[in-house]
Amino acid sequence: MASDVKFEGVHKLFGAETAVEDLNLIVEAGEFMVLVGPSGCGKTTTLRMLAGLERPSYGRILIGDRVVNNVAPRLRDIAMVFQSYALYPHMNVYDNLAFGMRARGISGATVDSRVKETAEVLGLGQLLKRRPSQLSGGQRQRVALGRALIRQPQVFLMDEPLSNLDAGLRVQMRAELSRLHERFRVTTIYVTHDQVEAMTMGDRIAVMDHGRLQQVDTPETLYDSPANVFVAGFIGSPRMNFLPGHITSSGGRTTVEFLGVKTQLSANSRLTGASSDGEVQVGIRPEDLSWLPAAGPESSVTLRAEVDVVEPMGHEAYVTALCGGHSVISRFPPRSGVRTREQVELALDPARLHLFDAGSGQTILQRPVEGGAAVFTSTRAAWNPSESEQGPDRQRPSPAPTVPNVSQEDLIQGGTHEESA
Amino acid sequence: MSAVAAGKPAPANRVVVPYRRVSTAALITNIVLVLIGGFFLLPMLWMVFASVDSNPDWAIKLPTLTLANFTDVLGTAGALSAFRSSLILAGTTTVITTVLAVLAAYPLSRRHIPFKRTFMLAILFASGLPVAMLIVPVYQLYVYLGWLDSLYTTALFLAASSLPFAIWLMKNFIDAVPVELEHAAAIDGASTFRILRQVVLPLTIPGVSVTAIYTFINAWGAFVIPFVLNSNPDDQVGPVEIYNFMGSHGLFKFGDLAVFSLLFSLPVIVLYLVMSRYFSGAFNFSGAVRG
Amino acid sequence: MLRVEATAVRGPRLDRERFQWSSLVTLTPALALLGLLFVFPVLYATYLGFTNLALVGSRSRDYSFTGLENVTRMLGDYVFVKSSWLTLIFVVGSAIIGQSVLGMAIALLLRRAVVPVRLVVGSIVIVAWVLPEITVALVWYAFSQAGGTLSILLGHRDANYLVLVPMLIVSVANLWRNVAFSMLVFSAGLRNLPTEVLEAAEVEGASVWRRYRLVILPLMRPTIVTNLLLVTILNLSEFTLIYAMTQGGPGIETMTLPLYVYQEAFVFHQLGYGTAISLVLVLIGAVFSLLFVRAARNQA
Repeated sequence: MASDVKFEGVHKLFGAETAVEDLNLIVEAGEFMVLVGPSGCGKTTTLRMLAGLERPSYGRILIGDRVVNNVAPRLRDIAMVFQSYALYPHMNVYDNLAFGMRARGISGATVDSRVKETAEVLGLGQLLKRRPSQLSGGQRQRVALGRALIRQPQVFLMDEPLSNLDAGLRVQMRAELSRLHERFRVTTIYVTHDQVEAMTMGDRIAVMDHGRLQQVDTPETLYDSPANVFVAGFIGSPRMNFLPGHITSSGGRTTVEFLGVKTQLSANSRLTGASSDGEVQVGIRPEDLSWLPAAGPESSVTLRAEVDVVEPMGHEAYVTALCGGHSVISRFPPRSGVRTREQVELALDPARLHLFDAGSGQTILQRPVEGGAAVFTSTRAAWNPSESEQGPDRQRPSPAPTVPNVSQEDLIQGGTHEESA
Repeated sequence: MSAVAAGKPAPANRVVVPYRRVSTAALITNIVLVLIGGFFLLPMLWMVFASVDSNPDWAIKLPTLTLANFTDVLGTAGALSAFRSSLILAGTTTVITTVLAVLAAYPLSRRHIPFKRTFMLAILFASGLPVAMLIVPVYQLYVYLGWLDSLYTTALFLAASSLPFAIWLMKNFIDAVPVELEHAAAIDGASTFRILRQVVLPLTIPGVSVTAIYTFINAWGAFVIPFVLNSNPDDQVGPVEIYNFMGSHGLFKFGDLAVFSLLFSLPVIVLYLVMSRYFSGAFNFSGAVRG
Repeated sequence: MLRVEATAVRGPRLDRERFQWSSLVTLTPALALLGLLFVFPVLYATYLGFTNLALVGSRSRDYSFTGLENVTRMLGDYVFVKSSWLTLIFVVGSAIIGQSVLGMAIALLLRRAVVPVRLVVGSIVIVAWVLPEITVALVWYAFSQAGGTLSILLGHRDANYLVLVPMLIVSVANLWRNVAFSMLVFSAGLRNLPTEVLEAAEVEGASVWRRYRLVILPLMRPTIVTNLLLVTILNLSEFTLIYAMTQGGPGIETMTLPLYVYQEAFVFHQLGYGTAISLVLVLIGAVFSLLFVRAARNQA
């Protein structure tokens, strides 16, 4: 049922503009791959090329073993959810859902039962006679999803499907989409500009910027070992702090100097060969930079700073502080009582530092590889980072059950009827 | 007690929104418009009054009511046959023009066609070409083909002359259908023909109607083309009949003339009123000739 | 890690846009009709304009290419010169100035009018446009006759204004009929203006006139240019209204070029010369179009 998808040296040019540059990416069968990046990074163009709505300027796209460069969209056996939903405004929900099957010449009785089953699965049973204009945003979204789901295609394509929903509904649909994917295990390529969506939904995430693929990896690896400054800054909120620094190596130990402090990297931190001495960008995630009174024992490096802005979040607070002429964001406990202009001490664990080459922006740090801990690789196309969480069936996708076998309760846990029509 | 009082602001504190004074500017605007409306209404009014006046002249005056003019006109064979001829001519023209315009506009809107921009500009320019220029060669051609004096062949030329603008209108309407719907249908597995029939066409029904009615209104009022190409006395269309009527005995039978014109105008007025909701959208030409 | 370096790309582009032959299937009927009854006549007319073809007599069959003879004849033709001037007056006065200015004025006023006035006046103006041209000719003929409504309103019962100021009357009648077109175009254009910009100008306290001149007019420029272009080419070929009202008379006082073409071709049977005159008409139209398209380009 599910096929893998390969992009081989794919380029897309619009006039003189390069939208996608030399994309090489393999999406495994059954995988949920998220393409994420800022607007104009080429992610939507990539999706549209896979859908057949654009043709690549160079390179090959394969679905399964078939090169689809010149295959019409309708012959690719894919389904797509559009950002605008693209529901047929002159048809009711039933006809919207049935359109694809009727177009493929499936007989009336089959169409009818599949439409009804899909509608039940998505909680649309009462709405079949309504036109799209009579539905709420969330209901429209679900119809768009149903239209894709009903056909059980080889690949699902989703172009920012949640971006038109309000925040609460978005969180709910995020979970619903994940559950649907768990169930059907159809290869899914999901485009978004929202890194939270990417982190929560993707088996793997492909980060793009300026038409180029920056890094493909599991959410955890992407977060812990960003390949470059762009990925480090794009993934994670609040954003990673970047500070100018300097490294020197002597006697096998590397010393990093930044914001007036010096610290040695742990012995098993390995640097890429090229940059053992010189200017670097030091990256510190806000949660790795904490208030000294609240810091753990491994936070051996301390910095003095002056509080600029305190942003209480409830369960924690983010404090923007000035430190050696630089503004850094740090995480504080919720009721620290610090105020603007107050002098505070911040602490961090040197093992949590990220180091990037000042010129190229590429990481120069290779994470220590330790037995027992999660293994971070960047080439493995895997969606099985932690077995304990997912159970063994994650390793080998079982054949996707058909829609009818799934009861509504499996997929939607309440809530779907709560939105106002 | 106090809680209730706190819930409502004391009347003295209530912010009173004053009735908006009718501004002089608004008053002048409306008066000027009414005057303009009068300028447009006055000439038409003559037609209405004279049609029910037993003794009309060129001026608007309160009629001495009669229906004699109506019975007079409806009693003559010429008037009825003129209606029939006009219906055939305008109907045939509308069908040909609309069908061809829809078919041509779709690829012009959606497909890659070399020199499309130039083609569309040429079409726009062609829609303004004087009939006076075409009428001589077309007359020659019709003589050669033996097509003169037939309502249907006349409709063919009328259709050709209204086609450029119809294609242009229709293309704008199809452009307005979100292309994502077609993409969605294509991914859903629909063939081009199915997309056209089940997605594009239903969504451009208002556009097709506007194009058809616009064409019909123009064809219904067309004068020169049937005047030159169709001289068969049994098949004279309304405008030609009215023109002949004006020439021969217009000075004596104001009433009949007014009735004839009025009756002949009613169908297009009704058609327009029915479709007026969609008409205003058809005239969004902003940037049509942008460089 | 798939950090990709820019690679030199070889080979032909795979996404060159291709013409789909199926497009031709639906285009063909329209192209065929336009080819037979539009393109061919235009080309044929261009040829006929340089011949001495006649409607009747020996020259109707036995005509020949006469080079620039028709052109030299035009230059010496007093009626042609007069006719050209009348056409220019008609197009500039009735269409470019009258129709566009009044159309814009009505469109602007309608925006601020109360609903009943807007509906009624708007509809009346449009009905005048929907009426068959022959009807418009008739009602304006009646309106301007001696003893007609106009003469009574102006207090000269015996004055036949269609004889006294024929060009003015046909121009006004044409304006009366066609204003709705410009009004509709401008109304649509005004509706599409970004409301925030207008509101911002209002909040800043700009006067109505300043708002119009500095905000609305510049934003409406593309619409105005398009309107002028369409109005000019449509009015250049206006025939029916004038012909039905005056047949070019009295004398040749309203003999614009389309009427002169008709007279030469079908009354005097000079098909070749008539067609040559129609080519001049097209030439005038082309010059106007170029000017407007130029104006549209310059604004960007």
